[in-house]
Amino acid sequence: MLGNALIGLREGLEAGLVVSILVAFLVRTDRRSELPKVWLGVGIAIVISAGVTIALALAQQQLTFEAQETFGGILSIVAVGFVTWMIFWMRRAARSISAELRGRLEGALAMGPAAVVVMAALAVGREGLETALFFFTAARAAGETAQPLIGFSLGIAAAILLAYLIYRGAISLNLGRFFTVTGVLLIFVAAGILAYGMHDLQEAGIVPGLTTLAFDVSAVIPPDSWHGTLLKGIFNFSPQTTVAEAIVWVAYVAVVLPLFLRPQRTRAATPTT
Amino acid sequence: MSRTSRAAVRVTTVIGAAAALAACTSTAPPSGGDAAGGGPIAVTAADASCDVAAAEAPAGKITFSVRNTGSKITEFYLYGTGDRIMGEVENIGPGLTRDLIVEVPDGGSYTTACKPGMVGDGIRAPFTVTGSATRSVDENTRLAEATTGYHRWVTSQIEALVPKTQEFVDAVKAGDVETAKALFPVARTYWERIEPVAESFGDIDPKIDGREDDERDAGVQFTGYHRLEKDLWVDGLQADSPAMADQLMADIRDLQSRTATVELTPVQLANGAKELLDEVATGKITGEEDRYSHTDLWDFKANVEGSQGAVASLRPVIDEKDPTLGPVLDERFAAVDALLEEYRVGDGYRLYTELTDEDKRRMAEAVDALGEPVSQVAGVVTS
Ligand SMILES: [Cu+2]
Repeated sequence: MLGNALIGLREGLEAGLVVSILVAFLVRTDRRSELPKVWLGVGIAIVISAGVTIALALAQQQLTFEAQETFGGILSIVAVGFVTWMIFWMRRAARSISAELRGRLEGALAMGPAAVVVMAALAVGREGLETALFFFTAARAAGETAQPLIGFSLGIAAAILLAYLIYRGAISLNLGRFFTVTGVLLIFVAAGILAYGMHDLQEAGIVPGLTTLAFDVSAVIPPDSWHGTLLKGIFNFSPQTTVAEAIVWVAYVAVVLPLFLRPQRTRAATPTT
Repeated sequence: MSRTSRAAVRVTTVIGAAAALAACTSTAPPSGGDAAGGGPIAVTAADASCDVAAAEAPAGKITFSVRNTGSKITEFYLYGTGDRIMGEVENIGPGLTRDLIVEVPDGGSYTTACKPGMVGDGIRAPFTVTGSATRSVDENTRLAEATTGYHRWVTSQIEALVPKTQEFVDAVKAGDVETAKALFPVARTYWERIEPVAESFGDIDPKIDGREDDERDAGVQFTGYHRLEKDLWVDGLQADSPAMADQLMADIRDLQSRTATVELTPVQLANGAKELLDEVATGKITGEEDRYSHTDLWDFKANVEGSQGAVASLRPVIDEKDPTLGPVLDERFAAVDALLEEYRVGDGYRLYTELTDEDKRRMAEAVDALGEPVSQVAGVVTS
C-alpha cells in the first residue's frame, strides 16, 4: 500500500508542481480568465495518456521499452523549453510590475493562450503515459486486490494536496518576492526535468553512459523512502545520477540562474552617465 | 492569432507523436503462443528474491510478466553484455503485475534483475537467448567460423600451457628455486592469454590465479601461481609447496578438459578481448598481479596477445560490419606492441619495480587508446 502510494505521490508531484506554479502565476497577475486553458491542457494530457494506454491494451499491444523512454525523454526536454520560456516571461512581468503600477499588466505581457494549454499539457503529459499505464495495471489487479489502486489514489491525492499548498504558499508572497521565489524554484524543477529527460534517453540507448555515475547516494536517500519520493517528485532528484545528467543539470542552472537573477534595470532606476 | 495557431500546431504535434508511437512499429504484441509455445515468462519478484520461471527463450520478442509479491516498489531489467539495458519495467508497486516486452534479436548470455526498492544492482540471474532472429545464414556461418577459430587458438595455447606449467611445477618440487623463478612468467604467458575462457568457468580462475588478499570461503586455501610466486620470491619454499604445485597442475588439467567442450559465443569473444585489456589496466600497470616477482610486463604482453587473438578471430565479421574499425584496431595494437618492445630485456621484460611513473603513464595511455576500439567490437559483431 505504502509503495503504491509513494508512486502516486511522486508521479502526481512531477505533474502537479509546474501546473500549480502556472496557476499561481495567472492568479497573482490577475489573469484568472486564463485558468480554463490550464485545465484544458491538463485534460488533453490525461485524455491522450489514457487513450493511448487503453488503445494499446485493446489492441493487445504495448509500447516497447525504447519507444516509451524515447517518448518520455523527448517530451521532458520539450517541457524544459516551455518552462524556461515561462521563467523569463515571469521575469519580464516582474520588471514591468516594478516599473509601472502594481497589478496593471498590459497587453505586452499577454501569454499566448495556446501556450498556456501546451505548457499545462506537457507538464502533465510527459509522465502521463507511465502514470496511465500504472493506473491501468492497478485497476486490472483490483479484481484480486484493491490495495494497489487505493494506495495509488491516496498518493495522487497527497500530491494534489501538496501542489495546492505550494500554490497557496506562492500566492501569499508579496508580488516582488513571488516572481523571484517561484522563478528560482522553477529553474531547479526545470533542471531536474532536463536531467530526467537525459536519463530516459540514456535508458533508451540514444545517449550513452547510463552506468557512468557522477554520484550514488541511494544508501542515504533510498528512492522508495518518503524523502526520496519528495525529492524525486519535486526536483526530479535521482540518488543515482549519471555524469551526463549531472552535466546538463549544472549547465542549465549555471546559465539560467544568473540570467534570471541578474539585476533588473527599471526605467526609473536606469543609471545615466 | 498567429501566435495561437502556432502553439496549436505544437499541441497537434504532441498528439500526433503520441498517436504515431501507438500506431507504428514501436509497439510489440505480447509473445503468447509464439514459437517457444511458452507465452510470457512469469517473474515473481519479492523483497529478497526474484524467480524467473524460465532461464531460456528463443531470440525475438520475449515477454516477461513481472509480479511484485513483496512490499517494496520494484523494477525488472533484462541486461545484455556490459549491462546494456535490453528492456526495463519500472514502478511495479506491491501486489501489481506488469509486463516487459523486449526485442532480443541475438542469441547469447543475458542477465535478468529485480530491483526491490529501486536500488543497487538488483537480484540477478543469467538468462540465455537461443538462436538468432534476424541474422542471415551467411552471417551465422561467419560467426560460427569466428568462434571455432578462436577455440582452436585457445586449444593451442592450452597445449603449451600444460607442459610449461609442468616444467615449472617440477622445478618447484625439485626445490630448484632459480629455474622455477625463470619459468614462472613463461608458463603464465599462456595462461594470461586465455584467462577470459577460464573465467567463464567461474571456479577455476580463483584457484589458479587468485591473490593472497582475495576473499575466500572459509576453509578455502590460497593456491595457484601466485601462492607459489610468494613462496619463491618472499617466504622461501614451504613444506606444502610441492602439494601446492601438484594442485596447480591438477587445476590446469581440469581447465584443459573443460575447455575441450566449452562453447563460446561471438559476444563472449569480444568481451573477453576487452576484459583482457581491463586486466592490463587494473592488474599489470598497477603492479598488483605479480606483486612478489614483479614480472607484470610478461603478463601485460600476454593479455594483449590474448585480446588480439580474440579480435583476430572476429576480424572477418568486423570488416563486414564496420570496415573502419579494423584498421584502427591494427594501429592501436601495433602501438601497444611497439611500446612494450622498448621495455624488452632479452627474452623477457623489465621488472615492474624498474618502471618510472612516466613509463606507467605511457602504458596506461596506450592501453586506453586500444581499449576504446576494442570495446566497440561486441556492438559491431552483434549489430
Ligand atoms: Cu591474471
